Amino acid sequence: MQTQIMVEVRDLTKTFKGKNGADIQAVKGISLDIRHGEIYSLLGPNGAGKTTTISMISGLLAPTRGDARIGGHSITKEPLQAKQLLGVVPQEIALYPTLSARQNLDFFGKMYGLSGSDLSRRVDEIVDFVDLRERQHDRIETFSGGMKRRVNIGVGLLNKPQLIYMDEPTVGIDPQNRRRVLDTVKRLQQEMGMTVLYTSHLMEEVQEISDRIAIIDHGEIIAEGTLGELIQQIGEEDRLTFKVGTQTVSETLLARFQREVEGVTSASYDRREIADEDSTALAHVDGVVTIMAKRGRKALPDLLRIADDAGLDVLSVEVREPDLEGVFLHLTGRALRD
Amino acid sequence: MRKILAITWKDLYTTFTDRNLILIMIVTPLALSTIIGSAFSGFIGGGGNDVPVRDIPIALVNLDQGGNANGQDVNYGQMFVDLLIPTRTNTSSPLLALTDATLLGNAAAARASVNSGSKSVAIIIPEDYTSSLTYSQDHPDVRVSPIEVYSSPAATISAGIVRSIVENITNTFLTGSVTVEATIEALIARAQDDPAFGLQFGVASASGSFQPDFAPAFQPDAAPITIEQQTVRGQAQTFNPLVFFGSAQALFFMTFTAIQGANSMLEERRDWTLQRLIASPTPRITILLGKLLGTWVTCIFQVTLLFIFLTLIGSLIAGELQLIWGSNLLAILAVIVAASLAMCGIGAVVAALARTPEQVNVVGGIIAIALGLFGGAFFNIQSIPQIAPISRLTPNYWGTDAFATLAAGQNDIGMNLVVLTVIGGVLFLAGLAIFNRRLSV
Repeated sequence: MQTQIMVEVRDLTKTFKGKNGADIQAVKGISLDIRHGEIYSLLGPNGAGKTTTISMISGLLAPTRGDARIGGHSITKEPLQAKQLLGVVPQEIALYPTLSARQNLDFFGKMYGLSGSDLSRRVDEIVDFVDLRERQHDRIETFSGGMKRRVNIGVGLLNKPQLIYMDEPTVGIDPQNRRRVLDTVKRLQQEMGMTVLYTSHLMEEVQEISDRIAIIDHGEIIAEGTLGELIQQIGEEDRLTFKVGTQTVSETLLARFQREVEGVTSASYDRREIADEDSTALAHVDGVVTIMAKRGRKALPDLLRIADDAGLDVLSVEVREPDLEGVFLHLTGRALRD
Repeated sequence: MRKILAITWKDLYTTFTDRNLILIMIVTPLALSTIIGSAFSGFIGGGGNDVPVRDIPIALVNLDQGGNANGQDVNYGQMFVDLLIPTRTNTSSPLLALTDATLLGNAAAARASVNSGSKSVAIIIPEDYTSSLTYSQDHPDVRVSPIEVYSSPAATISAGIVRSIVENITNTFLTGSVTVEATIEALIARAQDDPAFGLQFGVASASGSFQPDFAPAFQPDAAPITIEQQTVRGQAQTFNPLVFFGSAQALFFMTFTAIQGANSMLEERRDWTLQRLIASPTPRITILLGKLLGTWVTCIFQVTLLFIFLTLIGSLIAGELQLIWGSNLLAILAVIVAASLAMCGIGAVVAALARTPEQVNVVGGIIAIALGLFGGAFFNIQSIPQIAPISRLTPNYWGTDAFATLAAGQNDIGMNLVVLTVIGGVLFLAGLAIFNRRLSV
């Protein structure tokens, strides 16, 4: 049986005019399918094109080329029908600060065509869902960041959407509220059967909640699949990082790591120049040895012994198991947080 | 339609529950129009809200030597003095309320009092004033010796009024003199032609029973002096600073409200609430109409409230309820609606062309001040004829003119309504179209 597709994106492209008049292609012909009831995440660094992509999917931006269909409705040809199925949780706190939480929910509920007792009942449900019954009549401007985020999510749920998009919903909130938001996303899928389109630049979040992930960079999807499928692209290798400060590391030593320690597949040395924050003057050089190895923790004692034999003073050690950061590094040569 | 009204209601609620906005929209223009209105009227109180012209300080000098008319001694100069200086028999002349005259002995002292500022005007009656006014068969050529009206350059209005009074009184004397002489000549001529009447006339004159009192012919009270300002429409109009500056200030501040209202579209885009609205199943045109309707209704409320408060202030000052904007409430409402539409149109275009809310604040502020300046928010534009043509390009002018017309009890505001509606309609639609195009990017 074929899985039902909730969102179908084909050749979605957006070109803006730059300040010098030149065309800037923010999104370059993206195509993807999101299945009904799954949490699908777009992962990428800031400026990768995530927000532009979902802005086109939700009808905020007109695509330069291509189309997106939500529940079979084209966002360019049948925008009102497509939007009726869509709930929106933008990255910004898109609420009226001088209105109360309930007034905000009432107002946006009307924009989704709710009225009378239906609206009142739905607002009650949302207030309970985001756990703000006690504060529902207080102005938004008096809320903490986390509470605002919860109302922001609540507004996106007013129309009982089949698809909800959440654009970086954990930006700027404390770990406790972040946990709460992530749990809410899971509840939306598990208890309400919603399809969730989630964007983030935080690998840990995406790893935790997503059924499938698309990694986006420079307006293109460079990898797509489940977490396991993505990690397979770089193999089951751990990444070991030795910080060595200003010391230099010879090619001979790097070759010894590969030759003498079982499981090591590659070893490289990189010098990172760290500038003083208050000036452009070079403050210090941080040398880093990166070693890819299967079962990295087991290889670590041998690696440190060889380094010691060679007179290399290892200042710190980090071992990372395969993750999306490694996938992104593998695919782009850059760290996700760069 | 329900969504349009929901957006409009939301904007009205957020506007009228914001204390700072209320301060800017209502309290500030109310205070400014009251202060400016008071400043331009000199003072307010005692007899209503029209500019009270009274107690003009006058130095009066009577050099008239008097004369003889038909065997009787007369001194028109003294009669002039009696009209302006209270006496036992003259305590109720309207001129006594209008002027505050002091009799001085010589012309130099009178001029000096004007120069020193203690008096606004000096009236110097020449020595031959009576003889120049006396008409008789022996003296048929009447060439009135001019009364000198010496005034301070700073008191042009008072000088104008006093000049009118002098002319009026002199004309009355002249008319009375000619009339009396003509009457007596006619009686004598009839007595010569009709012996029977001549006998009766002679007996009556000799017995003293024929003693006609010609005094009323010389009394200006018989033809009261009135001071009116004539409009180009040829109708009497009084200048009420509270009405003029109240409406001008209301329109000035309404421009800010309209621009800020339209600017809320850009602010909502910055805060992402606009995107949230667009992502809902609500057509863009519905969102735009709801927003602009909200601004329009806000402007209407703002001016209506201001007018109500100014009416109360005017009534408090007058000590009785006074409809300072006139009694044609429907016409007043029509002007408010049309003027609000015009201002909303301006706001819509400014906000639609700007890129950021900050840009709207800067450009909108400049436009609002320019419109207010040329529209009469800060001074009476009629006092500077050079800027009158520019003034007519502003909705402020047409609005203020319409309110002043209605306040004067006239209803000739058709052209004002047409101009305001056309300005508003065209700019409103243009702003709507530009906004809609920009939101579709």
